[in-house]
Amino acid sequence: MLRLVVDLNRCQGYAQCAFLAPDVFAMHGDEGLLYDPQAEAAQRERVAQAAAACPVQAILVEELEASDA
Amino acid sequence: MKQGILTDILDHSHRADPYPLYAELRKTPVYHDGEGPYVVSTYHEIMALLHDPRLSSDQRNRTAGAADPLAEEDTGDSATLPPGFLKLDPPEHDRLRRITNRPFGPPHSPHRIESMRGDLDETVKNLIDDIAAGTSGNGEGTERIDLVDQFSYPFPVTMICRLLGVPREDEARFHVWADTLAASLDPDPTADQAERAKVTQDARMELGMYLAGLIEDRRKNPRDDMLSHLAAATGEESMSTMELLSTAALLLIAGHETTVNLITNGMLTLLRHPDVLQRLRSEPGLAVPLVEELLRYEPPVQLLPQRTPLVDIEIRGVTVPKGAAMWLVLAAGNRDPQRFENPDRFDPDRKDIQHLGLGSGIHSCFGAPLARLEAQKALSELARRLENPRLLEDPPPYRQNAVLRGPRHLMIACDGIRP
Repeated sequence: MLRLVVDLNRCQGYAQCAFLAPDVFAMHGDEGLLYDPQAEAAQRERVAQAAAACPVQAILVEELEASDA
Repeated sequence: MKQGILTDILDHSHRADPYPLYAELRKTPVYHDGEGPYVVSTYHEIMALLHDPRLSSDQRNRTAGAADPLAEEDTGDSATLPPGFLKLDPPEHDRLRRITNRPFGPPHSPHRIESMRGDLDETVKNLIDDIAAGTSGNGEGTERIDLVDQFSYPFPVTMICRLLGVPREDEARFHVWADTLAASLDPDPTADQAERAKVTQDARMELGMYLAGLIEDRRKNPRDDMLSHLAAATGEESMSTMELLSTAALLLIAGHETTVNLITNGMLTLLRHPDVLQRLRSEPGLAVPLVEELLRYEPPVQLLPQRTPLVDIEIRGVTVPKGAAMWLVLAAGNRDPQRFENPDRFDPDRKDIQHLGLGSGIHSCFGAPLARLEAQKALSELARRLENPRLLEDPPPYRQNAVLRGPRHLMIACDGIRP
């Protein structure tokens, strides 16, 4: 499992995460962001892409150990 | 026109390495030599201006005669079409961009780009297979590969065709028009100007007619592609046929020229940093931060030449008058030592990477999510499959264009191509 935190004060609604990991991040209207704070390990690569692509670097990802199996 | 450093930046002899000129330019954060454009080159000033509603992207707000040596470099939309949203302000910009985004991304189409991954993988695989089989290029196999013509160029055009919904059997025609329009962005001072203008105009006409026909067809027989969805929209959230045509042309040009250069600059940078290339081969995930660093270090759009203040604005003690020509030099801001540590170092592990490579604010790159995936996939696959790749010419020959900067050819050799 992955633990996600998005700093919604930084988030500017660029939606790059919602393009790159659409099963974890979703747009609510044009600017609001919804996300799954405990994403499946299978989403790891996409979440990493999303975090790297965030123009304001608002996404923090932490690996939750022992729940990967 | 005498413009000192701006003339040097536009001069083709500096194209391979404009960065020392940008460092010089940053000493005067708002540069103005009395008659040319106001040129902003420092990170924080550019970032603030990209979010400043007092700055217009619409050329019609320029004072007649505002001196700008780049004013004639058209970004590709024909005089017969209305301006695309790249060159419009709110509220028209917002309306057109919102409508275009509906079939492209979240919230309405969150899986569009995601669903292109298979096509992306297959296209990259086929292009590299063709290089391996010697069926593209000049018959010299892997001893002499032109990465631009054989890879970076055809890849994004193919993806734009798939995104818009151009049938595969028409892709070859689309490539020819795209090539002609791209060449028009890259003026060759020795060519017959009248002949070139005519060829470009003909290509625009043919492309416009083709797209108009395709839009008409998709209205009658819709499929799940962007043109069908855009053509089928009704009511307030829809475009006129002319708006749809200029939007399609904008997506084609903007989504194409820039990605070609991102991929080519990427491979050039990797070949100049063999340790990073080696890491990418064993760690494909490195492609993600690497592409962000590339967008900082060698951005495909070096400067935004079409901003104009709607009122007098003051920046770092300089008053830029209403209607004046302004350039925002993204590539200079990306190397600003006030913002980035060791800015001239290419470092894919850089944690602090809020680059200006895709712009920011309301005009931030519309196609960014697709461009990122294309570049990540292209570079990781090239790194994985080419055996011992090396540059045959460094620096490579560059296109004329100082704004959409990139190599015209990138000649490389390798010992073989892995399956």
